[in-house]
Amino acid sequence: MRKVYLIILTFTHIICFSQSKQLLYNFTSIPQSLLVNPGADVSYKYYFGFPVLSGISANVGSNSFSAYDLFADNGVNFNDKIRNVVNKSTNKDKVYANQQLELFSGGFRIGGESSKSYVSFGAYQEFDFLMYVPKDIAILALDGNRDYIGKSFNLGDLNLRAEVLSVLHVGFHKKVKENLVVGGRVKLYSSGANANSTKNSGFIYTTNGTPDTNVYYQNISSNLEMQTSGIAAFTKDEYDGNIANDLIHNTFFNGSLGLGFDAGFTWYYSKNLQFTASIIDFGFVRHTKDIETLTYKGRYEYDGVNPSFDFTDEPENVLDEFEKAIPRDTLYNKYTTWRPAKFNASVQYSFGESRFDDECSCKPKGERQYLNAIGAQFFAMTMPKDPFVAFTGFYKRRILKKLELKTTYTVDSFSYKNIGLGVSGTIGKVNLYFLADNVLEYRDVTKANSMAFQLGINFVFQDPD
Amino acid sequence: MRSSGINKITSLLVLVFLSFSCSSDLDFDQIDDLKLEPVVVANLTYFNIPANDFVDNGNEQSISFDAQDFNPFRNSLMREDLMKTEFNFEITNTIIRGYKIDLVLIDAQNNTIETLSFNAPAYSGNSNVLKFTEVFENQRLANLKRTAKIGFVITMGTGPQLTENSLGNLKLRSDATLYFVIEE
Repeated sequence: MRKVYLIILTFTHIICFSQSKQLLYNFTSIPQSLLVNPGADVSYKYYFGFPVLSGISANVGSNSFSAYDLFADNGVNFNDKIRNVVNKSTNKDKVYANQQLELFSGGFRIGGESSKSYVSFGAYQEFDFLMYVPKDIAILALDGNRDYIGKSFNLGDLNLRAEVLSVLHVGFHKKVKENLVVGGRVKLYSSGANANSTKNSGFIYTTNGTPDTNVYYQNISSNLEMQTSGIAAFTKDEYDGNIANDLIHNTFFNGSLGLGFDAGFTWYYSKNLQFTASIIDFGFVRHTKDIETLTYKGRYEYDGVNPSFDFTDEPENVLDEFEKAIPRDTLYNKYTTWRPAKFNASVQYSFGESRFDDECSCKPKGERQYLNAIGAQFFAMTMPKDPFVAFTGFYKRRILKKLELKTTYTVDSFSYKNIGLGVSGTIGKVNLYFLADNVLEYRDVTKANSMAFQLGINFVFQDPD
Repeated sequence: MRSSGINKITSLLVLVFLSFSCSSDLDFDQIDDLKLEPVVVANLTYFNIPANDFVDNGNEQSISFDAQDFNPFRNSLMREDLMKTEFNFEITNTIIRGYKIDLVLIDAQNNTIETLSFNAPAYSGNSNVLKFTEVFENQRLANLKRTAKIGFVITMGTGPQLTENSLGNLKLRSDATLYFVIEE
């Protein structure tokens, strides 16, 4: 049974994917660490990723509730579970999933053997989903308005974005000085499907009327908008294709295009004190394909169905009036979305010289590797409401010459006890890595508020020692 | 030798890692049990008629009539998921004549479904606030859902002559409490 769950879990992970890649960041024996800092101190003669298996990453998170809270097989009524989850959530709590699958990747050194300039390239597919808990709307759906006279239900609680896109990228990094590596990456985004509804506002409000008016003063003010690209066609009755196939096709060959940049650096204050920083996905997508924007905008005050005995008034028609006041409009305007930009920074102190080089005394002392590294990392990502931030402390240990372990302790809004473990080993030319965070939650994954893992296989060719 | 060492360690790590992973039983079929039971309150109807509106050019108008479209049941949520509703009426009469207020529920073919009748006695200086509640469930609710129009008929009882200067009002405030049960 456990195996079945593992498989399901693994699958879920591959299907869904947080972007705080604290384990991968600055784990420079893994070439994919260039994707989180194009200025990472990674060196190779050339490398290529095992197609489709070089970079699989998944991250799911929900900071106010877990799968267990909703779906535990514990006899508690499902509706009570929903009510509990809604009650303990706020409209700043979010459900988040991010998945990346690298299709191909590679890199090579340019210039001669003494050159310190590297090119890297690749393509990956990414799925990104973020939704805030629509607390007020959930309360309205669960309880109605009777027990909430005087409360304004906030329609702005409806806030979500979702995207499937492919990214084609080329990066360059160079050791410009003995103690400084800088790098950058250009990304071409192709968005196969996007839904964006992050700037909603409005309210539904009921309060008691005065003795000389209606029983209630009831008002709806709505400023709802959902932008979509690459989705409208699937919702039409006449659509008879295969959504999965069409989505894949659109994502890679017929998507809305965008452009983005990554940049980063690694700087050694001294041989064993290193600082890094990067900014990732500073870019946008211009949505032009199969675009449809749905809006409900307007104000409506509901007074009931009131007679007028003087025969002059027009007959009222409540539904029609409502639909006239807050019409459902469909627009076909192009729109632009910003990619969630990520910022990383780290400081690392290394100590204990590696003994694994003992066989080879040919290396200059300066290139010797250290056994241990400790440090701290900072991560921030733009989100529709407050930015997401995470603080990480880490310890990295070289167990064998080509086997490194990294363990992280991360505090973020999903968890304050996120311990991650990562291993990267190189056997011959084959580099394997496996990184998983929130390992404490593996005691019972269903109760986890967030989970993430990454794994991959690369072929890395270095200059002979 | 070293390679196989690495291999072993890696396999061991992955294995140890995965075998630590446990999970409680989850039952995703519970989604089928989802049942929303919101209780919604809304205005139903309101009027406030001054006494002199019952006088036209010095002649009493003893019957007033109006009909309004009433089509919330065009909405599928109202048609399918409304399990019970209560109409609450509050009638205040400060006119020196008694009134009978009829709310006639009329279907799309102009047939009367039901008439809700309320009597408001003539004002005699004492507070004259009357409250009525009508509960619609089962067959009565099914009938209500056919409503397409509401007719309002106000019939004035006999009593002292009203003039253009007569004081007082006949006021009706009402609201509906709607009990929904929304299931798959």
